[in-house]
Amino acid sequence: MRSPMPLFRRAFVDSWRSTLGWAAGLGAAIALYLPIYPSIGGSTQMQQMINALPPEMTKALNYDQIASGPGYTQATVFGLIGFLLMTIATVSWGAAAVGGDEESGQLELTLAHGVTRVQLVFERALAIVLRVVLLAVLVFVLILALNDSAHLSIDSMHLFGAAVEFAGLALLSGTAALFVGALSGRKSYGLAAGAAVGVLGYVFNAVGRQSPDLDWLLNFSPYHWAYGNSPVANGADWASAGWLWGISAGLVLLSSIALQRRDVGS
Amino acid sequence: MESAITVEGLRKSFGSREVLHGIDFQVQAGTVFGVIGPNGAGKTTTMRCLLDIIRPSAGTLRVLGQDPRHGGPGLRRRIGYLPGELTLEARVTGRRLLDHYEAVSGPVRRGRIDELAERLNLDLDRHTRKLSKGNKQKLGLIQAFMHEPELLVLDEPTSGLDPLVQQEFLAMVQEARDRGQTVFLSSHVLSEVQQAADEVAILRDGRIVTVATVDALRESAVRHLRFAANGITADDAGALLGRVPGVGGVEVLTAGGGVELTAVLEGSIGPLVQALAGLQLTDLVLEEPDLEESVLRLYGNNGNGRRGNGSRRREPQEEGSSHA
Repeated sequence: MRSPMPLFRRAFVDSWRSTLGWAAGLGAAIALYLPIYPSIGGSTQMQQMINALPPEMTKALNYDQIASGPGYTQATVFGLIGFLLMTIATVSWGAAAVGGDEESGQLELTLAHGVTRVQLVFERALAIVLRVVLLAVLVFVLILALNDSAHLSIDSMHLFGAAVEFAGLALLSGTAALFVGALSGRKSYGLAAGAAVGVLGYVFNAVGRQSPDLDWLLNFSPYHWAYGNSPVANGADWASAGWLWGISAGLVLLSSIALQRRDVGS
Repeated sequence: MESAITVEGLRKSFGSREVLHGIDFQVQAGTVFGVIGPNGAGKTTTMRCLLDIIRPSAGTLRVLGQDPRHGGPGLRRRIGYLPGELTLEARVTGRRLLDHYEAVSGPVRRGRIDELAERLNLDLDRHTRKLSKGNKQKLGLIQAFMHEPELLVLDEPTSGLDPLVQQEFLAMVQEARDRGQTVFLSSHVLSEVQQAADEVAILRDGRIVTVATVDALRESAVRHLRFAANGITADDAGALLGRVPGVGGVEVLTAGGGVELTAVLEGSIGPLVQALAGLQLTDLVLEEPDLEESVLRLYGNNGNGRRGNGSRRREPQEEGSSHA
C-alpha cells in the first residue's frame, strides 16, 4: 500500500540509532554540567578564578555570565557542549541526506522510483527537522528537571526561547550541509559547508565580542544571532529565531531546486 | 505494434566529453530488447536518461508514451529499474528495504516479494550491507520486478549472479514478456542475454553499430561443429565437408582408425546434415550458434580470434597424427 511520506518515514525511522546516540550524548553533557553549578558557578571562589582569567578568554567562552544559573546554563550547555554536539549531528545528517546518498549510489535507485526530487529533499529535510526538535525538547526537559535541584533559577519561558534558538542555530548548519550536498552531490563538500557555518559563527562571535572595532563581525555570526542576548537569562530574541529558522527553510528550498536541475550520480 | 521506448538522436555530454553521439532505437511493447556493448559504451548513460536520472543534451525520448523529463513519479511507477552499480549500504533488512520501495512505487501483490525471494534463493531478513554482491543483485532484481511494471529497465542484470540464478532470471524475463511487460536490458556480453532477447542493439563508443533481431543474428551466426566417424580417411572427410556450403575452418583433430574433425558452419544446417548422413558417425556435436562471434565478425575485427586460435592449434596436432 502507498502510505504518506514514505521517504520521511524511512529517513526518520532508519536513523533512530543515530538519534538515540546524540540524545544520550546531550543528556550526559547536561547531567554532568548542571548539577555541579552550585559548587562552581555560584561560588565566590570560582568567580575569583574567572576574574583572574584574561578577559578576552572569558568573553570568548561566554564565561562572563557564568556566575548566574541562567548564564552558566547558557555558556556551558547551549553555548558550548550542546552547540557542538548538536551542530555535528545536524551537519552529518544534512550532508548525508542527499550528497552522501548520491555518493554511495543509492540516490539513483530511489529517484528511479515513484518520487520527485523536490519531495525527496523536503521529506528528508523534514526528518532532520523532527530529529533536531526532539533533541531540543530533550534538552529543554532535562534542564527544566534539574532547574530546582541545581539551583539554576531559570525561567521556563526563557528556557523555551533558548531551546528554539538552539534548534534553529543547529538547523542552519545542517541545512547548509544539505544544500551544498544537494548542489555538488558530494558528502564531503556538504560536511565542510555545514562545519564552516558552525565554526565561523562561533569564531566571529568570539572575536567580535573582543572590541567595539570588531563588533561588525557579530552581524555575520549565526551563533551571535541566536545567543547575543543570552536567551536563557533574557528570553529569545524572536526576530533572530525567525531568521535562523527562515534561512534554514530557504536553504531546504534551494536544495530542492539544486537537485531538481542537475544530473544525478554522473 | 506500439513502442514502449523510442529514442531519437540521443546525445549526452558530461562537460566537454560527449559519451552518446546520437542514438536511435525503438523497443516494441511486449518484447525483450538487449543493448550490448563493452563497459563505457554508453549503456548505463542511455538507461539513466530513460529514468530521468540524468538529462539528455539533445534528442527525443518517449518512454511508455511520455517524455521521461516530464513523466514524473507516475511514469516511474510504471517502470522497474535495476541500476548498473547497485549499492545497498543501509542498515536495514532486505525486507524492510523492499517494503520501503513498495510504499514509494507500489502496490505489490501480496506474497509476491516472498515468491521472488524464494525463486532467487535470497534471505530477506539479513541486513543489506552484509549481503554479497550476488545477493544484493538479487535484491535489486526483486525491487525492479515486484510491482510488475509495464517496463523493466535492467542494467547488467546478470552481473554477479551464478549460472543457476542467471537461468532463473532469464525465466523471469520470459514470464514478464509473456505477461505483456517490456524488458530493456543491457549486458557486456551477448551470450548472457541472447536466450532472452528478441532484438539486440550493439553499442560501441556511444554509437549504435547495429540493431537486429536475435533470429536474424542466429541465421547469420556461426556454429561450431565437431564429429567423429569411422571408415573414412581424414582427407576424404575434409573434402566432403569442403563441398558443403557455409562450412569453413575444417580441422582434423585425430586420424587413424576413426577421424575426428571440427569445423565452423555459417548459414543453414540442411546441406551439412545431408552430407553427414552417409558417414558412420560415432559422435556429433553441433553447438548453439555463437551470436557474439557473428556480430563481432560483422562489425569488428576480433571475430576471427577463435578461428585464428583454432588454426594455430591444428599444426601440432597434425604433426602428432602423422606420427601415429
